[in-house]
Amino acid sequence: MALIEVRDIKKDYPSHHGTISIINGVSFEVADSDFVAIVGPSGCGKSTLLRIIQGLERASSGEIRFRERLVDTVSNEMAMVFQSFALMPWLSIKENVAFGLTARGWTPEKIASQVDRYISVTGLVGFEEAYPRELSGGMRQRVGLARALAVEPAVLLMDEPFSALDALTAEGLREEVLQLWRDPDLPPEAVILVTHNIEEALLMADRVVVMSHRPSRVLAVVPVTLPRPRDRKSEAFYELTDYLYSLITEGSPPLSAPAKPVASEPPPAGPGDLQ
Amino acid sequence: MFPKASPSELQGLLVLINEHKGTEDVARLADDLDLEIDEILPSLDYAETLGLVKVVDGRATLSDTGRKMLSVSIRERKTILRDLLKKTTLFKTILRALESAPEGKLTEDDVQRLLAFTTAPSDSYVLNIINWGRYAELFRYDSDEHVLVAVRSRVQGRSPPSSPPSAPGSPGARVSPTADNPVSDASNSPRDLAHPASTVAA
Repeated sequence: MALIEVRDIKKDYPSHHGTISIINGVSFEVADSDFVAIVGPSGCGKSTLLRIIQGLERASSGEIRFRERLVDTVSNEMAMVFQSFALMPWLSIKENVAFGLTARGWTPEKIASQVDRYISVTGLVGFEEAYPRELSGGMRQRVGLARALAVEPAVLLMDEPFSALDALTAEGLREEVLQLWRDPDLPPEAVILVTHNIEEALLMADRVVVMSHRPSRVLAVVPVTLPRPRDRKSEAFYELTDYLYSLITEGSPPLSAPAKPVASEPPPAGPGDLQ
Repeated sequence: MFPKASPSELQGLLVLINEHKGTEDVARLADDLDLEIDEILPSLDYAETLGLVKVVDGRATLSDTGRKMLSVSIRERKTILRDLLKKTTLFKTILRALESAPEGKLTEDDVQRLLAFTTAPSDSYVLNIINWGRYAELFRYDSDEHVLVAVRSRVQGRSPPSSPPSAPGSPGARVSPTADNPVSDASNSPRDLAHPASTVAA
C-alpha cells in the first residue's frame, strides 16, 4: 500500500483566452519511508502540485490518496516547509514553532512539550526567545523545519527549501533533513521535495519524478540507488545528472528509459540549476 | 580575527568534505558548490582552528573530531561545538567576564570593549561572535536588552552528565595543542585575544 497516491492530477486556470492547463495528468506514488524529489523547469506547476497533495488547493481533476483515504481537505498528516521560511516576524521562535499546534486542540502542556522537543532536535536551543530577524537564513529555515515537524506529520512537503540559502548552509541543512528523515524516532516517514536543482534532487532522493514543461506531465520516475552521502563528482552521479538534464531540456518522454543510462557527454556546466 | 562564517556554514563544510570520503582538494570543494575558494576559506580556517579539519598542501581532511561530529545527532553536534569553543581564548575570555560580571550579564558594549584590545570590532563582528556562543549554548542572549546572560549550570563546569567539559576521550580533549600556546595567560593577552585560532588547548 502506498503512503500517498497521486492519481492523474490535472490543474487548469481560467484566463481571458480560455482555459490554461498547468498540470496535465500527473501520477506517481510515495511509499513508506520514501524520499521523493520532484524536478522540472520553472513554471511547470511543481509547487502547485505540492499544494494539491496537501489539500491546500483543489485539482481540476484526479485525486490524492493518503493511506488509501481521499484527501479532500487540508491534510493533518502532512506539513510544509517553504522557500521563504514563512515565519511570523512578530512572534518569537518558540511561538512560531507553536503556531500550527494551537489549531490541533492539544493542551498547553502538550503544545509546550512538542515545541521544546522540536526546537531541540533541529538545533535551535538558545534561540527560543529570539525573533526571526535575529536569525541567519539557515537558522530561520530550521525554525520552518521545527514548526513543520512539531505537528508530527507522516509526510514532510518541502517547496524549494534550500534555494534561499547560501551554498554551504544549504549543504549542511540538506544533510540535517536527511538525518531527521532517517531517524525512526522522529517524523516524518516520507519526504516530498520540490526543487529546480537536479543536483539537489540526486543528492537527497530515493526517486526523482521528472516533470515536463507546462502543461506538465511526468517524463520519468528515476530511482536513485547511490549510497549516501553521495559524491556529486562520481561517475554514476554524473550520468544521472546528465540523464535528468537531457530529459528536461529535450522534453522527450522515454518512459521506459533505463534508470542508469549510458553517459556519452560531459555534464552540463553549472550545478544542474535550471533557472 | 574571528571568521566571517556561521555555525551553519561550518557544518555545511564538514558535510561537503564527508561527501568526498573525508578528504578532498580545497579547490575542488569550492568547485562543488560553484563557489570561489575565498568563499569557503573563513569556514575552513575556523574548522581548522577548532580541530575539526586539517589542511595540508591545499587538501582538507576531516579529523577524528570532525568525523565524530558528523556521526552524531544535530543536538550532540552542538555539544561538541560547545566543548571546542570553550577552549578558544575568545570564548574563554567572554565566559570569564560573564562569570565575574554583576548578575552574570554582559552588554554588547562590554563584549566590544573586551575585544577592543586588538581590533576595532564592528557591530556585526560582535554579533557574529554572540551568535556562535548562543548557538553553542555557551550563554543566553537577551535581544531586547542586548545583553549576554550566563548559563551557569552549563558554563561553569557543572555540565549535564551527558557532556562533561573535558572528560578523557571527549571530542574536545583530542584536539592537538598548537605550538606557542600559553593558555594560562591567554585571557589577559591582547595578542592572543585577536587570535582565538591559536588557543585551542589540549
